[in-house]
Amino acid sequence: MTAPLVELQGVTKIYRLGEVEVPALRGVDLRVELQDFLALMGPSGSGKSTLLHILGLLDRPTSGQVLWEGQDITHLNGWRLAELRGSRIGFVFQMFNLVSNLTAVENVELPLVFLGVPPRERRKRAEEALVRLGLGDRLRHRPNQLSGGQQQRVALARALVTDPALLIADEPTGNLDTTTGREILTLFSELNHQGRTVVLATHDPEAAEVAKVRMRLRDGLIVEVF
Amino acid sequence: MLLNLFRLSLRNIRHRGLRSWLTVIGILIGTAAVVALISIGQGLQRSVAQQVERIVGYNTILVSSRGLNLGQRIRLDIEAIRAIPGVQNAIAVRTETAYVEGPGGKGFLAVLGYDRAMEEFVAEMNLTVSEGRALGGKGEVLLGSRTARALGAQLGDEVTIEGRRFTVVGTLEAKRAGGFATGGLTLTDLLVIPLGELRELFPGPELVQYAVVRLVDRADMAEVRDQIRNHLRAVGERNASLTDFEDLTRNIQSVISGVQAFLAGIAGIALLVGGVGVMNTMYTAVLERTREIGILKAVGAKDVHVLLLFLFESGLMGLAGGALGMVIGFSVAWVATAIVSRVFQAQGAFSPVLSMGLVLGALFFSFIVGAIAGLLPAYRASRLPPVEALRYE
Repeated sequence: MTAPLVELQGVTKIYRLGEVEVPALRGVDLRVELQDFLALMGPSGSGKSTLLHILGLLDRPTSGQVLWEGQDITHLNGWRLAELRGSRIGFVFQMFNLVSNLTAVENVELPLVFLGVPPRERRKRAEEALVRLGLGDRLRHRPNQLSGGQQQRVALARALVTDPALLIADEPTGNLDTTTGREILTLFSELNHQGRTVVLATHDPEAAEVAKVRMRLRDGLIVEVF
Repeated sequence: MLLNLFRLSLRNIRHRGLRSWLTVIGILIGTAAVVALISIGQGLQRSVAQQVERIVGYNTILVSSRGLNLGQRIRLDIEAIRAIPGVQNAIAVRTETAYVEGPGGKGFLAVLGYDRAMEEFVAEMNLTVSEGRALGGKGEVLLGSRTARALGAQLGDEVTIEGRRFTVVGTLEAKRAGGFATGGLTLTDLLVIPLGELRELFPGPELVQYAVVRLVDRADMAEVRDQIRNHLRAVGERNASLTDFEDLTRNIQSVISGVQAFLAGIAGIALLVGGVGVMNTMYTAVLERTREIGILKAVGAKDVHVLLLFLFESGLMGLAGGALGMVIGFSVAWVATAIVSRVFQAQGAFSPVLSMGLVLGALFFSFIVGAIAGLLPAYRASRLPPVEALRYE
């Protein structure tokens, strides 16, 4: 049996707000296998985002282990984590998080810049990614010239341009109207069918429907898997 | 990779528009001030070197009282100095105050002893006669234009100096301030008679304002200086000092250098303030772009990339300020020296010098000021944990 793509073992995360310690995760065990499509559900404050951040190597757990393809990377240095993040993981956020100074195609190129891909190839791959998501005529537009749905598709193109093993989405439809949101979710579903591993966080039960497995979090613990 | 970060930095600077310009202006003013002062200073030094060379020449020793005090007179025998091996020629400038009577006035006036050898020394001593002719022989006198008016004397008139009669053969108009060459007197205020007659009118020990000694080519400067000192000792003159062209230039230039360094230091404070402006802008930029830093890190940027991104930004603003400041500083220096030269009709009008060293130095320094000012903000940005940065509103 091959190792899961990511595995969390007894992960806790405690935030300090001055003197007060706020536990965000209180011992989470989670295996994300290749080609999984996982939806994390729960009210805000339940620890969804924290869990996503730890899965996406944006944050470190207070205790517990993070295994990436079977290897313990809990204490990997920032440089190596950034490399993994840049090459193996794609992020999509609720707020789209595009760089406002850059055009669509430049935003999509960003991850490739940090991977050291030569400019010509970078531009080609970024344009292809955008064309695939139906934004072939929006390459030179800036984020503020694009609709919410278009921005989220640019963000998705940026997440996919490195051909990552894991796609992580934090409330990707939270800032979109229902129709556009559904389109984005359909895209996620298609990506998963094409073999991409996806983990998304949402508190919209309808959004969670597209996932293969749903997990409900409450107070920093996974309380239900269905 | 670096190039891309660089382009991103450039874009961020442009995006901030007015604020970037204001920051750049901070550096610009500092650099402009430093460049203006240094280029003027260097121009002044070059001009001094040229002036000194023009007045005294390289191969020349000035014998004067200690501290170049031309009012204080020294005892020497110019003939003896001319006889020293290695000396090509020498002149002594001697003026005496004499009782002078003219057709329309009288009084105590300065009389300069004219020595034909003077003409080959000093441009200023080449007594250009505005009216009449040069001194020809005994019993002739040249009058400065003001002296002529004071005495009510015209060409062909007779004036009496210490009881001896002289015929006015010409008048002198000062083309420029004679200063140095005439022992602090202006040509227009003088009477000029042959040195021999001045000696006859004022017998006794020869006391001169100063002497100028020209050496033959490749003479041993040190040896000649020793000989002159021996002569001075022999005639009992203990208060004289020797200055050659290099001493003189070095002295004047070291004074200019000192003043220049002092002023440039003060101007440097302006540059420092500009640096603080850059730092302020960069801190603001880091705050404003916290979320963007998070995004960059989420898509794989390493700490060092973020650090470089911000360092490039601050360094570029420094460089832009430096380049513009240099152009403006040099222009200001140029205009200022032109005005000064015009207003004071300074001789040998000087222009500021923009040396390669100054150009490179100013650019390098302004870049470094920008980069250093950006160091702390950039470091802070690079250390931001990605999650916190992303969460920042």
